[in-house]
Amino acid sequence: MGFDQFVAERLDRLLRYATAIACDKHLAQDIVQNVLMRAQSKWDRIGAMDAPYLYVKRMVTNDYLSWRHRRAAREIAVERSELARHAPSTADPADAHAEREAMRARIAVLPRKQRAALVLRFYEDCSDAEIAQVLGCAESTVRSQLSRALQTLRSHELARSATSGVHS
Amino acid sequence: MNDLIRSAIAAEAEERVDSRTVLAELHKRKKRRKPFGLIVGVATLTATAAAAALIIPTAVKKTDAAPATNPPATVTAQNVLLLGLDDHEHTDTMVYARFETDGSVNVVSLPRDAWTGGAGGKKINGLFLDDPKSLTDAVERMTGTKVDHYAVVRMSEFGKIADAVGGVEICLTAAAKDKFSGADLPAGKSTVKGDQALAFLRQRHGLPMGDLDRIKRHQAFLTALAAKITKENALPLAREIGRTIRVDQGWDVLEFAQRFQGPVKIRAATLPVGDSVSTSTGTGFVVDPAQAKQFVEKQFAGGEPSQPGCVS
Repeated sequence: MGFDQFVAERLDRLLRYATAIACDKHLAQDIVQNVLMRAQSKWDRIGAMDAPYLYVKRMVTNDYLSWRHRRAAREIAVERSELARHAPSTADPADAHAEREAMRARIAVLPRKQRAALVLRFYEDCSDAEIAQVLGCAESTVRSQLSRALQTLRSHELARSATSGVHS
Repeated sequence: MNDLIRSAIAAEAEERVDSRTVLAELHKRKKRRKPFGLIVGVATLTATAAAAALIIPTAVKKTDAAPATNPPATVTAQNVLLLGLDDHEHTDTMVYARFETDGSVNVVSLPRDAWTGGAGGKKINGLFLDDPKSLTDAVERMTGTKVDHYAVVRMSEFGKIADAVGGVEICLTAAAKDKFSGADLPAGKSTVKGDQALAFLRQRHGLPMGDLDRIKRHQAFLTALAAKITKENALPLAREIGRTIRVDQGWDVLEFAQRFQGPVKIRAATLPVGDSVSTSTGTGFVVDPAQAKQFVEKQFAGGEPSQPGCVS
């Protein structure tokens, strides 16, 4: 597959993925742009692979997880944790939209690697093995990252239901 | 809860920017970046007159999504002065190269101790420090040719360059041990990198012909280095040394790079010099302008192929 064809077919999907893991569309745009520029310069090799998309996704993920974006990621996390704190008390728990927004805010404050694993599983429908490949870690690590993420989200969910219970 | 997670992540992903914005940005950056990549590629010429001839075609192929099928008619043969600076900003190494439109390269090394304008005038290696133009003017007078462009690199980068290609194979007629340069190399073939590569290029003391022997080492090093350049290491190498390279303003690097379409023929020779003459301003070689002009003309027109072999 040529580079231009790859971009035409996969750019939107990559932007969605990057936005989902970074929780910041501008940061996601920067990452995707930079990664594609780099990918283009070695497209001879990437284009010949069995799964170029998986490889580029790995580049995007590494870029996000790298130290360069740590600061930006923390700032977003702080902003989102503010939202998360307010979401349960201000939103109507019966409203599906509010429920989803609350979950979004909770996902946004997860550790970055856990969130990446979560997005790969629930948005990209990747297997443990594929996630391990993208994150560059063992499958057992993938499972523990996912289970920790789910545990955190679940405990928040329980706390939230409890709070809403009191309110209603 | 999994469905909730799914819909939350999907909602987050939905926030992405318009892909057309990104496409436009990519397109813009590609345009901006192309000359940069090529400058890096061309700049590599400076470091390795021969090696770069191989790097540029690779760089061009990689940055050009739709490569031009024919080089534009505007490509012309160009004379480029490639300069290696020592730690005191003297041009320790001067390679004058003619790049033909078919990508072949004919090279004349200029001895650093050559007097310009006769003995007691100025030595060629100090001119660049005064003013790059005084050096290009002197080269033009000495060779009867026009210097179209020049590029400059620090000699100290060559250790890293040798590292980047996993070492360069050299061959010495005798073992070299020199405390000034730190050279400590066996006779016969060996592979040099890092400090030893640098010492090999720097050693002048203890060689029968001094700097003239060193020039032969430079030529041997460049030829061997060119042989180590592959499609895989060309770009990292160009990036590694591209940072430290300067080229003159107004060099249309894109046009320059068009000529490289395949393997490159390189011929290297050293400008013949007369006797070593000492004056109050130093010791240097006298250059006979008529002989120099004739030699450069012949070399630039094709000349003799470089002879591989062991050096002093």
